[in-house]
Amino acid sequence: MPDWVEPVARYVIQEGLPGTLRVSAIAVVGSGLLGLVLGTLLTIKFLPLQGLIRFYIEIFRGLPILVTVFIVFFGLPSVSRSLEFDALTAASIALVLWGSAQVAEATRGAVQSIPREQHEAASALGFGWVGRHGFVILPQALRRLLPPFVSLLVNIIQNSTLAQVIGGLELLEAGKRQNERLAAFPPIGLGEIHAFEIFAGVAVLFFLISFPLTRLAVYLERRLV
Amino acid sequence: MLLAYDLGAFVSDNRAELLDAFLNTLKVSGFAIAGALVIGAVLGAARAHRIPVVSQLTAVYVEVIRNTPILVQIFMIFYGLPQLGIVFDQFTVAWLSVMVWGGAFNSENFRAGFQAVSYRYREAGYALGFSSFSTFLNVTLPIGGRIALPSSINTYISVVKNTSLMYVIGYAELTTTSLNISNLTLQTTEALTVLAIVYLVLVWTLSASIRLLESRLALPESQ
Repeated sequence: MPDWVEPVARYVIQEGLPGTLRVSAIAVVGSGLLGLVLGTLLTIKFLPLQGLIRFYIEIFRGLPILVTVFIVFFGLPSVSRSLEFDALTAASIALVLWGSAQVAEATRGAVQSIPREQHEAASALGFGWVGRHGFVILPQALRRLLPPFVSLLVNIIQNSTLAQVIGGLELLEAGKRQNERLAAFPPIGLGEIHAFEIFAGVAVLFFLISFPLTRLAVYLERRLV
Repeated sequence: MLLAYDLGAFVSDNRAELLDAFLNTLKVSGFAIAGALVIGAVLGAARAHRIPVVSQLTAVYVEVIRNTPILVQIFMIFYGLPQLGIVFDQFTVAWLSVMVWGGAFNSENFRAGFQAVSYRYREAGYALGFSSFSTFLNVTLPIGGRIALPSSINTYISVVKNTSLMYVIGYAELTTTSLNISNLTLQTTEALTVLAIVYLVLVWTLSASIRLLESRLALPESQ
């Protein structure tokens, strides 16, 4: 293997991968929690609340995620100084806004697919709205939500590359920096272009992470639904 | 904030540029959607009818595209391919990358649509003396195409949204242009508002068209 490969690979894995994992982890946990709450609230027949959540879902599912990233990164600081975030955090927030809209829509469907008798039985046992949903309805709905949730995880991991556009250090940005370093003239770089190998390597890393998850989603879909 | 928020001034001062940019977004989307439609129908048919070699190659193509970020795909085409002597201008990279992406997803949409066409319809075609190709053209394509329509329009919506990623290669579509203007005039909030409104109107219109087409093109027996 040529000499330039090892330092490039080390930088991409050591500096880039943690960024990708951090953004993905925050985004998936945040989307899951917020989406479950919003989706469950959406099943309450109270028009103003339904309208508000619908609006949220349609906005963040409709916007290109990159535009949401820009709104969080460039737009929010001009509203208030306290809303200034670093690139990785801004990307995570944008992905939570998008992901929670996806999860909310899926949760609404899953909650509504639980038979009415389950609600009635839980009420008969003396559960209030929160207890009924927390202990009876949502645990059953979660089973149905598992396959779309794994697909969402794959989407989030891939869309975490959007942090690169605003300069966040994740896999793609790490690859891009190494590409630019190698292209620089000696003694800084080699004066060689290795863009093809580097970005192919980044693509392979994403594939290795995503492919097993995609298969898992298909498997869960067959087994659980 | 340096300037008071003035959306009207932002739009009217930069009317010509923004309109050009919007048309570029439509042009890239149009090229990519047309290409994705052809790729999807042809490769979807190959998958549904298990045509040897083509079917397996399509499966690989779909998995590669689905499991790698589109931004990495754009980088491969824009920065990677020139190393192999394949150089495209920005416009070509723009429509090509979203077309390749949309084509992969669309071939899955069409595969599912064609597979949903009941075998007895095709049998009827063969019984009338149609060759297998004309059976596909006259029976499977019109029926399966209708079944695939809603999910394929969803793919086209994603294609339109993904044209915003051409910001990274500096192609003057809506996102790039609007943000470039705001870099000069410091009207970031206005630029973001324009982007949000235009994309939402585009996406919402397309989603509404799904519902309309679904009811108008629904198969008679499913009503």
